[in-house]
Amino acid sequence: MNVHKLWEYKELINVNGMMFTSELISFLQNSLTMLQVENHFTHIQYWGQLYAVDFDYHIAVGITNDVLNDRKYFYTTDFKFWSLLPKPKKKYKLLSLLTTFPFRGDPSLKIKVLDEALEEDHPDRCRIMNEESRLAATISNICDEAEVCARGQLIKQPNGTTVISPSFYGLTSSEAKQLKSYLHVRQPQQRWNTNLLTRQDYNYSMDFLDSVDQDIPKGCWNLSLEQNGSIAYLKNLYWPGMTFFHRVRTPDAGFLYVGNGRKNLDVPFLL
Amino acid sequence: MSQTFLLEPDIIAATENVMPDLNSDLVLAKNFLKQQSAATGDTLYDHLVDIIQKILSHKPPDVVDNFEQFSWEVKQEKFRPNFDLLNDLYLSPPQLSLVRRVDEMFRLVASKAEKADDLGEEEQELDLEEEDVKPRIVDLVDHNYYFREAGYGLPDSECYAVYIALNMLGIKEPVSTVRFFGKIFGTKANYFVAETDLTLEELDRRIREFELKDMPGEGEGEGEARPPEEEQKELLGEGEAKQEKPKEPVPPKLPPEPVSTWQPPPIIPVERPGQGVNKKVFWVCNNPGEPWICLPDVTPDQIRVARLTVHCMTGDLDAEVQVFPPFDGCERNYLRAQIARIQSATAISPQGFYTFGSGEEEEDIDMEEGMGDLDFNPNPFYQGHTLKDLVDTNLTYWVHHGRHILKQGRTLWWNPNAGMEEGIEEEEDEVPPPIEPETGPPLFTSLSEDARIEGQNPWSTRISTILAPDRAIAVIRSNMWPGAVAYATAGKKSECLYIGWGLKNQPPNFSPLQLSQPQEEYVIGPEVMEMADPTFADEEAYRIAHLPPPPPPVLLGEGEGVFGEEDEEED
Repeated sequence: MNVHKLWEYKELINVNGMMFTSELISFLQNSLTMLQVENHFTHIQYWGQLYAVDFDYHIAVGITNDVLNDRKYFYTTDFKFWSLLPKPKKKYKLLSLLTTFPFRGDPSLKIKVLDEALEEDHPDRCRIMNEESRLAATISNICDEAEVCARGQLIKQPNGTTVISPSFYGLTSSEAKQLKSYLHVRQPQQRWNTNLLTRQDYNYSMDFLDSVDQDIPKGCWNLSLEQNGSIAYLKNLYWPGMTFFHRVRTPDAGFLYVGNGRKNLDVPFLL
Repeated sequence: MSQTFLLEPDIIAATENVMPDLNSDLVLAKNFLKQQSAATGDTLYDHLVDIIQKILSHKPPDVVDNFEQFSWEVKQEKFRPNFDLLNDLYLSPPQLSLVRRVDEMFRLVASKAEKADDLGEEEQELDLEEEDVKPRIVDLVDHNYYFREAGYGLPDSECYAVYIALNMLGIKEPVSTVRFFGKIFGTKANYFVAETDLTLEELDRRIREFELKDMPGEGEGEGEARPPEEEQKELLGEGEAKQEKPKEPVPPKLPPEPVSTWQPPPIIPVERPGQGVNKKVFWVCNNPGEPWICLPDVTPDQIRVARLTVHCMTGDLDAEVQVFPPFDGCERNYLRAQIARIQSATAISPQGFYTFGSGEEEEDIDMEEGMGDLDFNPNPFYQGHTLKDLVDTNLTYWVHHGRHILKQGRTLWWNPNAGMEEGIEEEEDEVPPPIEPETGPPLFTSLSEDARIEGQNPWSTRISTILAPDRAIAVIRSNMWPGAVAYATAGKKSECLYIGWGLKNQPPNFSPLQLSQPQEEYVIGPEVMEMADPTFADEEAYRIAHLPPPPPPVLLGEGEGVFGEEDEEED
């Protein structure tokens, strides 16, 4: 979510009991504004926090032009120095799903991952990756599956770039009650017209993203309206700790991930 | 003063003038703008007039930057349907029902507070007695402040409403202490959970009720186990009788029907109210202001099943819980079982914060006697620990004050043979070998003894601030039950809180319990074993081998008779 609005969001954000402290907000605003200036980002967003045993990771995203493609992820454990996350590799994305133990808080730590699907003497059965690549892979997994925005928050311009809409009015209260109004922030995986044809009032510039109501199984997204229906919270069960919030009929919307970075594969049993 | 623009009649007159001049251009442009849209009947001219009128009257900043939005808003206002009849109808805001309940709660609590004030002024002497009656409500607002400092907690709006709701609980229900346990998310609604002790009278009443229900229950425990068997036998008996009748002409040569040798494990008795896992009584509501609903006592079996399953709350207390192994009860029972598990695992406090007994006089406490069921109270001599000790990763300065739940699903071990020995000895000679009592860690065991998850610490400690060490407090977070946190100041304050889904972190993923192996029905022997069918060659060989011996050369007439007889015998 927008770093410069954190003070306004202080009371709104509550991810599994986690709330912003004044110190965290001050730290984030100072260090991230600096980071934004150094890298000439048009937007800088606080992405969330990954619990680790020794130190927690804080993640930020810098956006230059295109919201979907020009993203750079940064992490820090102490707010003094933000380091750029490496590009997630496909093999690490698979391996990070297999690791069950928590993060340690040391990016250079080497971890061994055992792939039990392979035979005993297969050379790839035990692989080694360092925690930094695991972090990058985990974040990329979360982004692909659980990063969401409200419909209209991102618009595709005629030249093909996706930008944060400067004139996003917010969802109406009836729209906010439908899962259809929340879209995945990722390169669309459905055919371009699938997303358009599922709604009556389609809009080429808004409906190019996949909506979350098509995710399987039904019920893996949990939408609740709180504080007398004025705030919508959208939580993902696969990634417990991913929470999207939107204050109805205002441009205030954003998501935050606070959790241990483990995908909850038990979802089919939970429902 | 020269008039550049003409008035309406002049314009109309001017249209007839075909000479190219400014006025005719103006007229043409204006006519174009006044063209009605076929779909809405609106004209751009009117729209622009409205926009300019609105911009000038509202004076918003930087209109040019979000002119589109402005135009959109103007249009939206215009298109609001204006049916007179409906306009008269007042649509109340959707939050009305909730607000009504909250209002009711506020009235109740306010009237009680006023009464307490009056009493306080008039009867100072009776205050002591009054203290006994008045429930002790943990100051949630204060604790929430510290949780917020540490980065957890409830939003202020919710916190205050919950605090008032806890007060309402104290007024309405017979409870002596009230504490906020936490919040459990559900797919449709969330639960706010309050943890209470009952007043003595209410506790007595419940224990009496429990014993009344359970006295036949001691017999019921066994009685329940027996009827199914008897029924089974009866059923079997009936089945045999039915089967025999039609089969009478052909005497059955089937082996006796197998009898199930499975015996249900003895039912572990429930811990009585006010004891063990049922020591505290939990109340839940979906929104602060709604009436609190008391959760039923938890049975050992429910805890056993809850440990074997994962399930997400829905927010409806009567919802069905579909899990395997089958769960006995609805969501309120499941919720209660989960709360019991969470409470036993995550109720922690700094060492010395609580003490056995009343704490004021040194009592000799027999640790052996009632390990799991000793009362503990806040320690008046608790002085607090330094922050350095509290955030130490060895966690020796934090202790559990939730009772460990044994594998049995009780905190006090129950000997399954105690009752059986008397009854069974007469029938069967073999006495089951004495079972080793299950033991758990005693109360106030340090967190350093907790089971580790995949070699990592089950708890993480953090310090709340880097910049202002004077304000720093220690906060500890469970990695086992995500959502469970506790804080402790360097002074005398400490509290724990749970806000989460009520799901345990089970490092390799959850795998459902497998069905047990089916019992073998028959003794495996040649009769029930499958064999390869004989081939034609085999049959032929068999036939040749078993050919009757060649008949002795006798008279033809007699020989026929002999043949026939032999054939019959061989068949």
